Amino acid sequence: MGDYARVVWAIIAKDATVEWRTKTAFLSAMVFAILVLSILFFARDPTAVSSLDVAPGALWVTFTFAAMVGLNRAFLLERENGAMDGMLLAPIPRTAIFVGKMGGNLLFVALVEAISIPLFILFYNVSLAGRLPQLILVTAMATVAFVAVGTLLSAMVVRTRFAELMLPVLLLPFLIPPVVSAVQVTARILAGRPLSEMMGWLKLLAGFDIVFCVLTVLLFEATLDE
Amino acid sequence: MNAPLLAAQDVSRRFGYREIFSNVTLTLEPGEVLALVGPNGAGKTTLLRILAGLLKPTTGSVRRNGTIGLVAHHSMGYDALTARENLAFAARLWGVSETGRIDRLLDRLGLSKWGEMRTAAFSRGMIQRLAIARALVHDPGILLLDEPLNSLDEPGAEVVLQVIDELAERGRAIAVVTHQFERIAAIATSVGYLVGGSLEGPEPVDERAAEVVSHKYRSLLASG
Repeated sequence: MGDYARVVWAIIAKDATVEWRTKTAFLSAMVFAILVLSILFFARDPTAVSSLDVAPGALWVTFTFAAMVGLNRAFLLERENGAMDGMLLAPIPRTAIFVGKMGGNLLFVALVEAISIPLFILFYNVSLAGRLPQLILVTAMATVAFVAVGTLLSAMVVRTRFAELMLPVLLLPFLIPPVVSAVQVTARILAGRPLSEMMGWLKLLAGFDIVFCVLTVLLFEATLDE
Repeated sequence: MNAPLLAAQDVSRRFGYREIFSNVTLTLEPGEVLALVGPNGAGKTTLLRILAGLLKPTTGSVRRNGTIGLVAHHSMGYDALTARENLAFAARLWGVSETGRIDRLLDRLGLSKWGEMRTAAFSRGMIQRLAIARALVHDPGILLLDEPLNSLDEPGAEVVLQVIDELAERGRAIAVVTHQFERIAAIATSVGYLVGGSLEGPEPVDERAAEVVSHKYRSLLASG
């Protein structure tokens, strides 16, 4: 394993171990996901709005806000006990720290999403027979985009006094493009539309992934200056 | 004479309009144990962070000719990990082999019994020992210690002083920030006084150091 990959993997493994033992962010995110899914389900009038109409929005509101719980925690963990200094002293590329933290966040969000999807199917009574791979594809593409931006902003706000309040305020505007694209694709998947109808949105999502990943990796070092 | 392992030239640091210190010039030679003394707020920790490369100086430059080990006010560890896991993580970051080294460090710092315990359950003194072990995990050429004896009991402090002395004998360069020079007088080879925004010294110290340094420090404080 190369040096870069070794560092990235060490950070991902460390974050996963810490989260596995504390479960702070995971439990909060799951409670949040269940609450959002159930509130949005019961808030609609079933005689006027079908569950299929609200399902894509409900799914992405759930994913987005539940993920934010984990993103908030990402760099707070490094601030406690000055752990970030320990990483910065080591002769490792700064980008490896970012990629490692982003990898840890992706793992966390993927787990929250993996548990939320069955709950979503249960609440909204949607059939994903044969369409699950498509849903996983769009979920993965949108998740990469918002986790990349979320990780960068989490590193940026961690030294501010109200980091946990600042992150959603800064992050949400950046999430609008990928989440809107994801909602559009999800709606078509749930409606059983062919993949060709979604290609435009999927290309847009792929574009967001590339731009967000490249920019966030390049900008990370600037967040480290005191 | 050996080349210095660390050389700071005309280093100044401001936070906003407030100048913490200016024109600090010092070198750390192999085997040197520099004691940095100064009152609260003099900028000792800031200087150490600049020497470590964690903070940029406003002006001036720092040249390092070796890897840095830093013991700061924080443990730099993770409460949910065990002492051994914290050291293993640090070793992975530095790309050093964990085999044997972590056991030796835990043993040297008196933490063998608690290697598998999560550090959330550690006392402040045990955290300090772990922070020192963490700083040594990659066998650094330059060791920067900010109040290393804080929270340590007498046996713990004795061990840490022995470790510092051994490292100096092996040619490592060491800077120790302290309020209590007399506690490290036996191992210090030079002393610098960071008082009133400038560094007086560093100057060599001898066996009468504690008394001389204490007297000079008091007079600098009175005049500064």
